[in-house]
Amino acid sequence: MLKKPLFLISGGILPFLMYWVVACRSQQPVDYSSQIKPILNKNCIACHGGVKKQGGWSLLFEDEAKSKAKSGKYAIVPGDARASEMIRRLSLDDPEERMPFEHEALPDEEIELLTRWINEGANWGVHWAYKTIDKVAIPKINSDWTKNGIDNFVLSKAEENNLTVSEKADPNVLVRRLQLDIIGFPQNSEAKTNYSKKPTDENYELLVDELLDSPHYGEKWTSMWLDLARYADTKGYERDGNREIWRYRDWLIKAFNEDMPYDQFLTEQLAGDLLAKPTEDQLIATAFHRNTMTNDEGGTNNEEFRVAAVLDRVNTTWEATMGTTFACVQCHSHPYDPFTHEEYYKFMAFFNNTRDVDSYEDSPLLRHFDPGQEAKLNKLANHLNKRAGETETAKIINFIKTLQPSIASLESDEFVNSELSDTKWLAMRNNSSARVPGVPLKEKSTLVFSYLSNKPGGTVKILRESLNGEEIGRFKIDRSTKGWEYREINIEPSDSTSDIYLTYQNPNIKDDRTDGVKFNWFHFDTPYPDSDSKADYWNLLNAKTSTTPIMAENSAEMSRTTNVFERGSWLNKGKKVGTAVPASLNKFPENYPKNRLGLAKWMTSKENPLTARAIVNRLWEQIWGIGIVETLEDLGSQGEKPSNQALLDHLSWKLMNEYNWQLKPLLKDMFLSSTYRQSSKLDPEKIEKDPNNRFMARGPRIRLSAEQIRDQALSASGKFNPEMFGKPVMPFQPEGIWNSPYSGDKWIKSEDGQQYRRAIYTFWKRTSAYPSMMNFDATGREVCSSRRIRTNTPLQALTTLNDVVYIDLSNQMAERFAEHSPAEGISEAYLSLTGNTIDKKKQAILLELYDEALKDNQDRKAALALVMNSLLNLDEVLMKS
Amino acid sequence: MSRNNEKIFQEAVHKKLLNHTRRNFLKESFMGLGGLALGGMLTSCGSNADSFANNFFDPANPLMPRAPHFAAKAKSVIYLHMAGAPSQLELFDYKPELVKLDGQSCPQSILDGKKFAFIRGVPKMLGSPAEFQQYGESGAYVSDYLPHFQSMVDEVSFLKAVSTDQFNHAPAQLLMQTGSARLGRPSMGSWVTYGLGTENSDLPAFVVLTSGGNNPDAGKSVWGSGFLPSVYQGVQCRSEGDPILFLENPEGVSSDLRKASIDAINKINQQEFDEYGDPETLSRISQYEMAFRMQTSVPEVMDITDEPAYIHEMYGTKPGESAFANNALLARKLVEKGVRFVQLFDWGWDTHGTGEAGSIDVGLKKKCGQTDQAVTALLQDLKQRGLLEETLVVWGGEFGRTPMAENREGKANAYKGRDHHGDAFTMWMAGGGIKKGVTYGETDEIGYSPISGKVDPHDIQATILNQLGFNHEKLNYQFQGRQFRLTDVAGKIIQPIIS
Repeated sequence: MLKKPLFLISGGILPFLMYWVVACRSQQPVDYSSQIKPILNKNCIACHGGVKKQGGWSLLFEDEAKSKAKSGKYAIVPGDARASEMIRRLSLDDPEERMPFEHEALPDEEIELLTRWINEGANWGVHWAYKTIDKVAIPKINSDWTKNGIDNFVLSKAEENNLTVSEKADPNVLVRRLQLDIIGFPQNSEAKTNYSKKPTDENYELLVDELLDSPHYGEKWTSMWLDLARYADTKGYERDGNREIWRYRDWLIKAFNEDMPYDQFLTEQLAGDLLAKPTEDQLIATAFHRNTMTNDEGGTNNEEFRVAAVLDRVNTTWEATMGTTFACVQCHSHPYDPFTHEEYYKFMAFFNNTRDVDSYEDSPLLRHFDPGQEAKLNKLANHLNKRAGETETAKIINFIKTLQPSIASLESDEFVNSELSDTKWLAMRNNSSARVPGVPLKEKSTLVFSYLSNKPGGTVKILRESLNGEEIGRFKIDRSTKGWEYREINIEPSDSTSDIYLTYQNPNIKDDRTDGVKFNWFHFDTPYPDSDSKADYWNLLNAKTSTTPIMAENSAEMSRTTNVFERGSWLNKGKKVGTAVPASLNKFPENYPKNRLGLAKWMTSKENPLTARAIVNRLWEQIWGIGIVETLEDLGSQGEKPSNQALLDHLSWKLMNEYNWQLKPLLKDMFLSSTYRQSSKLDPEKIEKDPNNRFMARGPRIRLSAEQIRDQALSASGKFNPEMFGKPVMPFQPEGIWNSPYSGDKWIKSEDGQQYRRAIYTFWKRTSAYPSMMNFDATGREVCSSRRIRTNTPLQALTTLNDVVYIDLSNQMAERFAEHSPAEGISEAYLSLTGNTIDKKKQAILLELYDEALKDNQDRKAALALVMNSLLNLDEVLMKS
Repeated sequence: MSRNNEKIFQEAVHKKLLNHTRRNFLKESFMGLGGLALGGMLTSCGSNADSFANNFFDPANPLMPRAPHFAAKAKSVIYLHMAGAPSQLELFDYKPELVKLDGQSCPQSILDGKKFAFIRGVPKMLGSPAEFQQYGESGAYVSDYLPHFQSMVDEVSFLKAVSTDQFNHAPAQLLMQTGSARLGRPSMGSWVTYGLGTENSDLPAFVVLTSGGNNPDAGKSVWGSGFLPSVYQGVQCRSEGDPILFLENPEGVSSDLRKASIDAINKINQQEFDEYGDPETLSRISQYEMAFRMQTSVPEVMDITDEPAYIHEMYGTKPGESAFANNALLARKLVEKGVRFVQLFDWGWDTHGTGEAGSIDVGLKKKCGQTDQAVTALLQDLKQRGLLEETLVVWGGEFGRTPMAENREGKANAYKGRDHHGDAFTMWMAGGGIKKGVTYGETDEIGYSPISGKVDPHDIQATILNQLGFNHEKLNYQFQGRQFRLTDVAGKIIQPIIS
């Protein structure tokens, strides 16, 4: 029996009013996404969703929801609520049968809504974030407050919520806000002075332009991306050894500074290696996905951690670029959003075909040649082009630059008296053998390999197919190597891919314990085509270079298959799958390549509903401290609702269609808006109505990030080192912070001004991140992280009060202002930190502190330094107002 | 408005703001800061007014004390993690049959389908060189490696069949401490701090002490806060240098001067509050006051010189030394002062037999010698102060060791040693509502596999949370689109050891 309609069970005027409200609303059809989906998510989907399908029925996908349940009944009969089992079960009185099972009955209004929805045809809707981004009409508003479209959206939303926008912020406050937002720290400049003297709109815009053009802009915005890219200068896990990957950080800074269109920015990071004739920069960009962790602990299974890295690439791609949490689909279909378990693995197939195998060396690596070497390389390339043609030359140059394609020796197996040494490199003893599976041998008559031996007198034979198979090559090792060395031998070519077996004999080794030879990698190739330049080729191969880990795709003959992992475990391989994107999003065009490049094109097509929204939301959050959708990491149906979806869509559409994916013009719109220029002062009414400033009826007021706090203090000290790029630096860090086992890595304090570089250049060790920044909510960079939650703790106070970095900078400030009287020094320092003139009361408080300190230690500079340090600890200095 | 009225008005505004912060906090507790008010759905289908089902903290006062789900038996936890994995076969799991098999080749049947970190081919069985005897009324076996601990068997519950699926140090330590073998999840202490806050705001809520010369293999992640706000991470207290990083005032700044500077900062901040009306400024004022109090209270609690001679004798402590014994004594002092979670990591228990220090007959004995007396003293000391009742003490490593001798890369190792083994190892718990003199779980004749009473790291975590008053399925945090908890999707409370 259906529950009685609301208006029949109660009397009085209030129920009547309620009925009236319901009845009035009923003139509008029920909206699935905003009215129905929340009820289902809250009450039903835990048991009838992507994880559990009680009674053989799920509400996650339309076709499943409208199919017959195990009982043979239809839960939803579109157009007929009376015939729908779901409504019947929701309305029962018997708690044994009533749904939700073992829970309170749904409120009558919700049942009524569901009933109406089914009677109206049970129209399925699409969650807002999965709908294509359309052009949004700018609300017409008659107000001289509005400066650009943003303001129209904000003002109409504020009015909807009975909020009045705030007055314009003080020009000095605005200057500091702009500087912190655009370049990350306050700094003196011509445009700043001009605007402070004459705060006109024109001068304001000139200041915005100057800041957006500053090279420090790229550094500021790269900080945001490093958390997403889980960038660190070490490999992670037990030994957490160093990793040279800082050129990727530099690539980001340059890309932001050049305002590289965001679609290109993503494409180069995801698939730079697959572009036609990729440049060195495009290869460096792919280090984005080489920031995954590598486990060097002895005894670990390399395939397990290779797979872990691939899964991390999938999850990071979704979270960082599309603001979607995909990780739960690893184990089961998404409980709330339209992504199936199988779709996760189809998506993983895009990433499962790269050369990296959790090797100690982090290969594939891009080798960086110095200018002299580079000249030799170019000379060789020109020479080879004439002798061997373009294709062959490109292949050879690629091998010189990346040592790819090669097979890591850790991929070998079937060990007989051989083993993986420390589970990293194939080590062979006297009378031993091992297999290297799946070697593409077609037309390959050369083998280049990396090996190490301290036991002369050994012979290695290479056999095809089996230990009794055809011998295709052999070589003697008649001297000890100097560490790892490369060597080339000829082999018999064959016509297919096959397993090869290595055997090793060395009569000089009398026991069965001593390693005779170790291998690192094998490269099978056609012979080098030109004897004249072969020596140059070898010189370049052997050259010592610095490196960056990059992505490199397997050739067709070496490609991996991808399987579904049952319940998410890599050991339980299910069905084989090919590449595909989730069916609920935009189609993957037939003509796109089915690899990471095609994927990047799909993600950055204007049809993709998530990519533009995700980045616009991130930019907004950087400025306002809270996104238009608060959950940056989840725009899906489990994320927070957007506080102003029209604004988000307006900006997203503009980014793609008017600004050609360039971020600077979009940011400029944000900075020029009246919305941005509001004062951030609060009053009880504003706090009451909008505690988190979701509707932007006041300016942003948030605590500075860990990076901004450091950079601002550097700037005020006069010691700021503006040098950009290069190896990470090690500013002061207390003794005994790094203590990784089996690691000799040390924190060696940088000198000669390097200790005064911006925060972004600080060496980042995953298992022991820089402590003072961690205290200010920096992330460990182990996995992709979208948001830093700003806390307020005593350890933060202790950091800026006592960390030697801040003590040193306070002393430098005291030095800088030593020529002034204490009162002048205080006001100068205050000015450089806040952009404002200090008021008399605050100055008096600090002068009193100065006097007290002077009385205590009779040292004018020390007393001033204490006052300077107190300035660094002021709320107004730690906050952006 | 008269001056007086104006003052009253301002006070009212101020009060309202303060109230607001509080009310906002309460609101956010239920709505979730991430705003996802669908807490616990996936895991529990529960719809009770369970405040921990959602992200539950106030960024302005994240360590505010909170009550757990139900009445707790333990107020605090001291977790003693022997990093590197001590050998159960040399300490607690007495296997005379294994001694008889010493030197024989391991039967292929028990190797099939197993993966080892370093054992290759067919290893030899390795009998324990330790001598075992039964002790106490419970008659639990303890080896001669632990002459002090022998007297404590009637205080503890042994878990003889702990089992983990991780057999490499870093992942196994992460699994034990964070519930996941991958980096990025919050540690047990972080979860507890997130759930309980702290009652003594002058000390960190979650303290970590390390010894043995190295950090644990998984680094600081084993006390990291993962995706929880970083305020919940463990605070490492050190016996050399600053007891807490950045605690000490710089040279030339006396405590009085520090007080004066914090007063000045706070006065100006008060003025800033009057202008901007941001409740966060008020919170900052109180954080600076708290920082000042910490500067006194932390060095006080970290200083063991004031302890009487008999205490030093009992623990074997020497003030100023960086040693496990000192950390054990500090652990007692910290819980006495209201610290909720104290985690000790002692490095150096990895006994492969590749060197003497890592052998089961020399190196392991030495590690036992460095810790046995202090662990025993800690239990006795807590007991004599009436603190053991409300303090849960946990002892264990990240996995166990094989009954076979390690043959790294297929060669016999130079010293007696055992490879990593996750299938069966021993841990023990004491105090905090745990039964006394109980042994739960049993392994086969060679200590290779559990026969009964098998428990895994999630069970241990569920039990620890239970003793602290938490339903482990409901201490949740919304992240990456789902509710996370310490015990992931597993964890059963080990009822047989709960009193």
